[in-house]
Amino acid sequence: MSYRYRDEMTPPPPERASEVAVTRFEHVYEVDPALMTEHVTQQTFPNWDTLRLVRSRAGHLAWMHAHFADKVVSGEELLDDLDR
Amino acid sequence: MPDPEKRFAEEWRDAAYNCFSSGHKFCREVCPVMQVTGNESWSPTAFHANVVAMEQGSLEVADVAADYVNCTGCGACELRCPNSLFTGDFYRFRTRTVDLVKGVRSLAVRQEVHQPAWRRWNELTAERTHEPVADGVSQERVRDWAQGLDLTVGGETILFVDCEAAFYRPSVPRSVACVLGLAGYGFGLMNEQWCCGGPAAEMGYEEQARRFAEHNLADWRASGVRRVLVLDPHDYITFTEDYPKYFGEAFDIEVVLVVELLAALIREGRLAPHVPVERTVTYHDPCRLNKRKGIWQEPREILRAIPGLTFHDVDRVSQWSYCSGAGGGLAVEKPELTAKISEMRMGKAAELGVDTLVTACPWAERPLTAAGEARSIGVVDLHELLAESLGVAP
Repeated sequence: MSYRYRDEMTPPPPERASEVAVTRFEHVYEVDPALMTEHVTQQTFPNWDTLRLVRSRAGHLAWMHAHFADKVVSGEELLDDLDR
Repeated sequence: MPDPEKRFAEEWRDAAYNCFSSGHKFCREVCPVMQVTGNESWSPTAFHANVVAMEQGSLEVADVAADYVNCTGCGACELRCPNSLFTGDFYRFRTRTVDLVKGVRSLAVRQEVHQPAWRRWNELTAERTHEPVADGVSQERVRDWAQGLDLTVGGETILFVDCEAAFYRPSVPRSVACVLGLAGYGFGLMNEQWCCGGPAAEMGYEEQARRFAEHNLADWRASGVRRVLVLDPHDYITFTEDYPKYFGEAFDIEVVLVVELLAALIREGRLAPHVPVERTVTYHDPCRLNKRKGIWQEPREILRAIPGLTFHDVDRVSQWSYCSGAGGGLAVEKPELTAKISEMRMGKAAELGVDTLVTACPWAERPLTAAGEARSIGVVDLHELLAESLGVAP
């Protein structure tokens, strides 16, 4: 509920999720920081900002579904439609 | 190209090309300025494209400084940008239009390119140590709102009150003080409170902003303050984004948003709203809480705890495109544009058939109140509404 510099600027330790990705928060994946040192360097990212984006994305996708999706179609059904 | 512009273009190059080469422009749909003007030169995309042109030596900051006035700093564009919303946390690299706009404004001021109203506003702020939001603003009167409340000065926890609330809407901090007192939550007042410095930073007067921040932090340390309560979303941004940039690890103050604290006190049973408030309301998400901090649940928790209210909610994602127009210095330099944005926002409230728009931002309340008069919709602050329902309205 409150902001403390040290808490926000200390991300949880990364766990390797794949050859190119790590995870620090449950179900939240990040590109391996080692791959972000040459062309585009990473920004300072307090923990609240990471979580804000993750939650906003979930909220936005739910909002899109609520406003624009009439039904759920599987990928398999779409491929079948193309084959027909 | 002058050196400062070269350095600036180098600093923002990646971000500018990231935007310029994407070109999806979802930002335009949610930008309040774009919604009421349709001016492409004032779009978040244009703000980034200018940096590309600057890097190539095609323009200087003096050519475009006036365009950068047209931003409320609401953060809708950078949140709605797919480079933030869908990949920002993955790459730890997101769109930062608000910082870019502040950066260009600061670059302009450093090169003596001023906007007239902003220059005067910040000169007066420097003289008075507070923003000139009303007649009689002075250091001696910054605690007038607390008269008769028997609050002490100093202590481990203090309440910081923004200039608009302290001088123009004193009923808001008085309500907060009464509600916290009812819950038995102890706090004091700041010893010598200056403006937080956030507005100066937003308008490009960065040196002044830092000077004010240094004063406030030194005052807190001298008084043994460990925790600062803030009722204003703009202050919350300043203390959790600007001050950490200025002071780094040395910024060891805990910052608590009052709305979150009050929601927690209700949850814990330490506050129990019981006086019915017979109003039909909707809630305006302050941009700096909803879009820039992701804080939207707690205000709704408070509203739903107040008996008597008929609450027509509009979800927080729809409200990414809502704004009062009061932020980012726009109301100072272009009040007519702020009024248009507030009128648009109030139009959304009118569609719901409400008699009251509730918000939690003292800065939004002045233009929204003006816009509401034509539609007979009142504007009430959330803290005041809660105080009323707790029977402690000042």
